[in-house]
Amino acid sequence: MPPLREPPKRRRGALVWLRTNLFSSWGNALASLLSMGVLLYLGGELLLWVLTQAHWGPVWANLRLFAVYRYPPELLWRPFAASAVVLLLLGATAGAGRRSGESIAGGVFWWFFGLSALLTLVGLVAWPVARWGWLAVGVAGLLGYLAGRVEPRLARALPWSWGASLVIVVVLLNGFGTGGALRSVSTKEWGGFMLTLVLSIVGIAISFPLGIALALGRRSKLPIIRVVCVGFIEVVRGAPLIMWLFIASLMVPLVLDVSPSAVGPLSRAMVAVTLFSAAYMAENVRGGLQAVPKGQYEAAQALGLSGWQRTRLIVLPQALRAVIPAIVGQAIALFKDTSLVFIVGLFDFFNVGNIVANQSASLLVPGGVRLELSLFLAVVYWFFAYRMSAASRQLERRLGVGER
Amino acid sequence: MGDACERVPHGFGTGPARPRAGTIPTRTRTVRGMSTRSGTRVPFYRNVKTLGLLAQLVFAAVVVAAAAIVYHNVSSALARSHIPADFSFLRVRAGIPIAETPIPYTPADSYARAFLIGVLNTLKVALVGVLLASVLGVVIGVMRLSANWLLRQLANLYVETIRNTPLAVQIVFWYTAILTPLPPRILSAVRWPGGVLVSNQGVALPWLYPSPAFASWLPYLGVAAVLGSAAFVVRRRQLRRADRPGNALGPALLVALALAAIGYLLSGTTPLPRGTATSFRQVSGIATVFVDANGDGKVDDGERRLAFTPVVVRVAKGVLTTQTQDLSESRRIDYGRFRFPPLRQGEYAKATVVFADPARAAGLSIAYLHQPYQGIVYRDANGNGRFDPGEELSSSGATKRGYAVGLRLTVEGFRRRLVTDRGGLARIPRFTTGAAQASTTGGGGANMSPAQLFAAPAQAPAAGEPPALDARFVLPAPRPVVVSRPTIPISTYFGGITLSSNYLALLLGLVIYTASFIAEIVRGGIQAVPGGQREAAKALGLSDLQTFRLVVFPQALRIILPPMISQYLNLTKNSSLAPLAAYVELFAITTIIASQTGASVPVTIMLIASYIVISLVFAFVLNLVNARLALVER
Repeated sequence: MPPLREPPKRRRGALVWLRTNLFSSWGNALASLLSMGVLLYLGGELLLWVLTQAHWGPVWANLRLFAVYRYPPELLWRPFAASAVVLLLLGATAGAGRRSGESIAGGVFWWFFGLSALLTLVGLVAWPVARWGWLAVGVAGLLGYLAGRVEPRLARALPWSWGASLVIVVVLLNGFGTGGALRSVSTKEWGGFMLTLVLSIVGIAISFPLGIALALGRRSKLPIIRVVCVGFIEVVRGAPLIMWLFIASLMVPLVLDVSPSAVGPLSRAMVAVTLFSAAYMAENVRGGLQAVPKGQYEAAQALGLSGWQRTRLIVLPQALRAVIPAIVGQAIALFKDTSLVFIVGLFDFFNVGNIVANQSASLLVPGGVRLELSLFLAVVYWFFAYRMSAASRQLERRLGVGER
Repeated sequence: MGDACERVPHGFGTGPARPRAGTIPTRTRTVRGMSTRSGTRVPFYRNVKTLGLLAQLVFAAVVVAAAAIVYHNVSSALARSHIPADFSFLRVRAGIPIAETPIPYTPADSYARAFLIGVLNTLKVALVGVLLASVLGVVIGVMRLSANWLLRQLANLYVETIRNTPLAVQIVFWYTAILTPLPPRILSAVRWPGGVLVSNQGVALPWLYPSPAFASWLPYLGVAAVLGSAAFVVRRRQLRRADRPGNALGPALLVALALAAIGYLLSGTTPLPRGTATSFRQVSGIATVFVDANGDGKVDDGERRLAFTPVVVRVAKGVLTTQTQDLSESRRIDYGRFRFPPLRQGEYAKATVVFADPARAAGLSIAYLHQPYQGIVYRDANGNGRFDPGEELSSSGATKRGYAVGLRLTVEGFRRRLVTDRGGLARIPRFTTGAAQASTTGGGGANMSPAQLFAAPAQAPAAGEPPALDARFVLPAPRPVVVSRPTIPISTYFGGITLSSNYLALLLGLVIYTASFIAEIVRGGIQAVPGGQREAAKALGLSDLQTFRLVVFPQALRIILPPMISQYLNLTKNSSLAPLAAYVELFAITTIIASQTGASVPVTIMLIASYIVISLVFAFVLNLVNARLALVER
């Protein structure tokens, strides 16, 4: 009889995991111990400092400035109404899409709903003006979600509603006329995180079709169109966004032959941001177009589709699906790059943070609470950008990018 | 045509088939390259070629019309508002003070020179940034693939945090929250091993400079370069002939370095030019080393100043005066501090600090933070003879229990070895003889800047010149290259090389941000190498390190380099965020020029042209690298 052998060593368990992952060799063990030590020390110090020694007063005191800066305080119901409209639609999208299992809109909606709940709590404590506002926004979102769940046929109206909501939001924020609750608020008075969101969303919305058009133009067989598109894309991509913003602020009044005060800084910034983002979007879409097999074009021709139908029904859906990560990455980059509009004189979230930091010198903190404010800005931007990239990963998984 | 068919013999592939008996012959005609059975012509408005031509014409017309409208608008706007429309403003005196100037510059120079300084500063940050970002990016990228779970998660955390935060926020964080408030002020600068000084003005490092004797080393350097290249060529031919792998650069560099070192030793020290003298202005503490052509002992126009010349300064006895101050650091206020320019241990024989006006200072004591040049003046309240927190003498602030007192530092046997700067100047602390100097008053010493405190009195004493200080300057014969160590004579760094906190903040922000993207690229590249390569390497018995170095990384490099180079371009373009760190580079100086001159159109053209040139250079390099590294398919 063959000799009995020992049972196999344990392969599972915490100790085994530690051994294979952290302490598999002398070098690894040393690296693990060192990094654990550094991490605990730095992380502990940072946490301790954040909780005990940091002065968060200027942050709490200026929440309204961070959100909307100099928007007239008595008209704040309008940004709230705009947020409520958006969250309502987001809830309806999430509710209607519930059936298809894991819903990306669902994830995003609940995250924004959680944010408005958190802001309601914050409002109860430190931001009295905003208490009912955020509550109303949260309630509107919930109503939209319920409506979506109960009546999924509403989903058919959703694309148009989203388009209409863009118009509604702009009208709400801008207003019209001179008097009353809906009087016009010039774009010079918009600021804070509201301005960051407006810049990002309008920028993405306009630059997406523009980028597709540029990409198609770049691949056109007609030489003049191709040369102009290529020239535009290469020139715009070759320079940084802050430079284009600066040039737009110099040149837009000249190009339109009006006095500089007639064109608000927001319009100049929008022009630069949109054209810049369109050039990058065009490059991403071009990559996607190159990935569409030639056989698809020929099959479309064989079916008798016209050029425009072929592009719209066959080529673009495949091309766009292939480059979703790049497109969402570009959207995230645009959201982060709105921090550069300080050069044009706009007071977006980042610029307001700088202003508050500069003015926060006090007897307690003679140098101003710059570290706290930098951390606050970084954390807020990080949360939104991270949520967007998480949504992008979900979208990739759902559409099976890289699998088919 | 039917006739032609009959002349052609019947067979394979010899023209149109002859209609067989019993079939109905069809007539074919060609119209513009398209043949149709029915013989109708395609009208021109449905012909693809004409449509394309028309579309292009319309598009071109639209573009040209838009350009014409823009041109017309811009010229009428320019004519109406009288802003400059050509490049003649570049020759005008700039009047812009710039702190960091790689080449000599004064505000009296032209805008064109200021722009050149901007370009050089951009290169300074871009080249160093590219190097550091690559190193950090590769390290983090490899860490992302480590077998160690903790290292992997740390790298993950790094990439996810940095990538999702705007670069502007990061640069402002480094500049306003770390590099400006946290390091100490200049007069309390921290000294690191190696002679590095760190303060909130930046970091000053010892640096090598070519002295006036450098010319004696040049021939040896030339020989080293020539022989080094010869060694390179010879070694490469050797390796090629023997068909062995190997690097020819190593031996060549060794040869060149060895020859250069030998040449350095052989050239020894070279005496300075005849007539070299030092002119010392005691009031400002500046000594100028120059070649005194006419022997008058004063620096006249046209007399050459000797840059990067070592000089040994000796002051037998000198006196510095200051007052106590309340210094506000970023998170606290330090009361009752006095600070003289820092003196190192070996730079003086004896240094004593006394109160300038003993009557006013009755009952006060001194506690030294750094012997002898920095300390706290306090009143010993509890009588224990030591300084306890709360006993400081404050002239303002919450306590309001004191006043500013003057102090005198008497230094005997001061000896410092300096190297003159680019303009031939050497700076030492502003010693006085202490004889006829009353302590500087000036109302309320609370927060006067050090320069104000150490300023000479506005009127000279009745005798005329201040009593002359016994300062001697010895100019030793220098070697070809001198080491310049940083010092702090008054309130800025002198000597060595200074990396300002603006530059460091911009560099840190750019490097850390770009490294996160490079890490992802490196990770993707390494993962893209087929797993079979690793297995084959293991089968051959290569260790993990050897596998990585010899098999995986060279193949990964091919995939990594093109996106890396576009990240380098991004880093260079992102350096335009310098205004956030108050660093003057290409974009910052151009915005200043635009706001000062109002020349919108030329400035626009300059900006776009500069960045297009940069992008073209990078695209050129990228194409070279791609061509060189592309897989040779067989």
